[in-house]
Amino acid sequence: MKAHPAWRDAVIAAIAVIVVLAIPLFHRSPAFEDFVIRLSAMALFATSLNLLVGNTGMVSFGHGMFYGLGAYAFALTMQMTDLSLPVAAVLAVLFTTFAALCVGAICVRLSTDYFAFITLAVQMLFFSIIISWQSLTGGDQGLRGGIPRREIFGFELASQLHLYQFCTVVAVLGLLALRHITTSPFGQTLRMIRDNENRVSFLGVVLWQARLRAFTIAGAFAGLGGVLAALFVSGAYPELADWPNSGQAIFAVMLGGINSFLGPVLGAMILLALNDVVTRFTEYYGLVLGIVILAFAVGLRRGVLDFLRLAWPGRAR
Amino acid sequence: MTTTRKPGLSRRSTLALMGAGAATFAAPWVARADANILRIGMQSILSGPIALLGNSSRNALMMEQDRINAAGGFLGRQIEFLFRDSKGQPQESARIARELVNSSGCELLVDSEASSGAFAVQEVIRDLGNVVCIHTNSETSALTADPKIRAPTAFRVARQGVHDAVAGSIYLADFSKARKLNKWATCSPDYAYGRDTTAQYLQFLKQFNPDIEVVTDAWPKLGQPDFTEVITKLIQAKPQALFTLLYAGDLSAFVNQANVYALFSQMTVATPNVDYPVMAAIKNLPAGIQSATRYLETFPDTPANKEWGEAYHKRWNERPTTWSWQCTVAMQFYEAGIKKANTLEAKALSAALTGLKINTPFGADGTITMRDDHTTINYAIGWGQTTPKEPFMVDIKPADWGKIIELETEWKKQQKYI
Repeated sequence: MKAHPAWRDAVIAAIAVIVVLAIPLFHRSPAFEDFVIRLSAMALFATSLNLLVGNTGMVSFGHGMFYGLGAYAFALTMQMTDLSLPVAAVLAVLFTTFAALCVGAICVRLSTDYFAFITLAVQMLFFSIIISWQSLTGGDQGLRGGIPRREIFGFELASQLHLYQFCTVVAVLGLLALRHITTSPFGQTLRMIRDNENRVSFLGVVLWQARLRAFTIAGAFAGLGGVLAALFVSGAYPELADWPNSGQAIFAVMLGGINSFLGPVLGAMILLALNDVVTRFTEYYGLVLGIVILAFAVGLRRGVLDFLRLAWPGRAR
Repeated sequence: MTTTRKPGLSRRSTLALMGAGAATFAAPWVARADANILRIGMQSILSGPIALLGNSSRNALMMEQDRINAAGGFLGRQIEFLFRDSKGQPQESARIARELVNSSGCELLVDSEASSGAFAVQEVIRDLGNVVCIHTNSETSALTADPKIRAPTAFRVARQGVHDAVAGSIYLADFSKARKLNKWATCSPDYAYGRDTTAQYLQFLKQFNPDIEVVTDAWPKLGQPDFTEVITKLIQAKPQALFTLLYAGDLSAFVNQANVYALFSQMTVATPNVDYPVMAAIKNLPAGIQSATRYLETFPDTPANKEWGEAYHKRWNERPTTWSWQCTVAMQFYEAGIKKANTLEAKALSAALTGLKINTPFGADGTITMRDDHTTINYAIGWGQTTPKEPFMVDIKPADWGKIIELETEWKKQQKYI
């Protein structure tokens, strides 16, 4: 991968924010705005997972737990305290980061297959806690009563437009930070670990430390995605932390392309659009999704962006 | 590595992709094309093991669509339902509710979700603030009883856990006193509905018959295929009676398997959840199960109720469920409310619905009222015992609504809702 100047990524991110924020000035579409809000959460979730899968070669089946944890931590903080929304969001992300550090400390030393299994096992444990701890989490019914959306600098997040603007800015900043991490020397180290961990080890890199750092960072950004998801549904539900949700992120990564930074974002976009369109016409969403994934796997043999990069080398990234 | 086939997109593939993309994003606006049709969004669980109940909601609403359109529609506009499957996932329920209003142009909502989905939809309705929604299936009392959760434009037309618990406990306390059944066991699904409602029943049951003691309890998982372990545990504890909140496929599977162990000859069984599809799925429905009426053509025993049940059976070749009549009553409330308010505007329509009393075949006395706390009262509840053949339930005793409301008020005070 060629090195990209940070300013170039920042300019692209700024243009993306301006374009997305400008759209409602010309045409208000609540459907489009809802789509962008959900995409913001899913894009952060899937891209953070790709930091592990695509960059480090660590396939985590339990990434959904951090997404769910971010949502619960944020929603509970907002419900139980009078803290402002940004403070609650930061606390939720910090809490998720700490949880990822603890889980990672147990998991990252294991080899690929066992790492995948143990992340799934920890997620199931976490999911069981959510279901069982009814007095705190609401159990299988989820956190009820909604999230109070306290105003931030004149921003009222109960308004769809303000939520759209907030989620767009947070998601783009989050993606920019992840982009910076992947192109940094630390990101290069992660890719070296993915390609040949023995060689990296001989170079003096402590493998478990680098992996743990990647796992913690990925957990933090998944938590940030969970905060946005909680704002959208105005609550937190156990399904956000369940293993099928981790599967959704893996699908997004595989559909979009694991070797392209924006691959998971595109994959999330495809998955959400598919869900929205298919569920209007049939109850056999799972069947259609299976066929689409099969078509991508057999037809393209890689994610869409990876395919396009091969088709037009030097253009798409 | 060599590549035998050069990867790339043909012109045909590019056009197909562009066409698919255009169709994806055009769909919502195409759906809005005919502005004179009044679209009503309906969401429920239409796939998976609970789909049977979701489909019975959809069936009832399709009958209502035909009836209302034949009578001229709402405010002179023909109505059309848009059905969506939430797959029983709350976050999907929230998304669908927003999608139905924001992009599919629905002006009214019928939320036929189970409880967890209904709570998610409730928050969306509160956020949107510009649409009226009637929840038709959630029985969890807090949805409307808790003033913090109640939403200004959301209503519930459904049985309520606390109403059922009072009615059932009074009946079962009298029944257990008469038969001297003091040793009870419970067997309910291991999630919030099962645990909370069982506790609610036991609280009232012990209040009415303090001699009752629970000798064992079992908490099978939702959708558990094999109940052997549960059944043997119950039989070994030798209770005189069993109370169960298993429902739908779980209840029929439990009864079928318990028949093999002759459980029904060793204890009296009581459940509020015997519905027509459950009875149809049980190979040999044991006589003498003490049960609430979910939906029965013979209760209330009126020509209007029988006519509706038969019409449903004739059209869908299956019997209705409790979710079916609740959806029907929701549409009857919309019909009466819109007529009274003469508008679909959320605030005005909500004001018209609040306190509204309608005539309906499913009322205890031929009427059901939408109380000020946005939930229905006076719907038909009764308890009787099963028989293996039609009418499947006999000796039905109607519940006393005066007593239900008195004890519900006490319960609300305990919960600090009032």
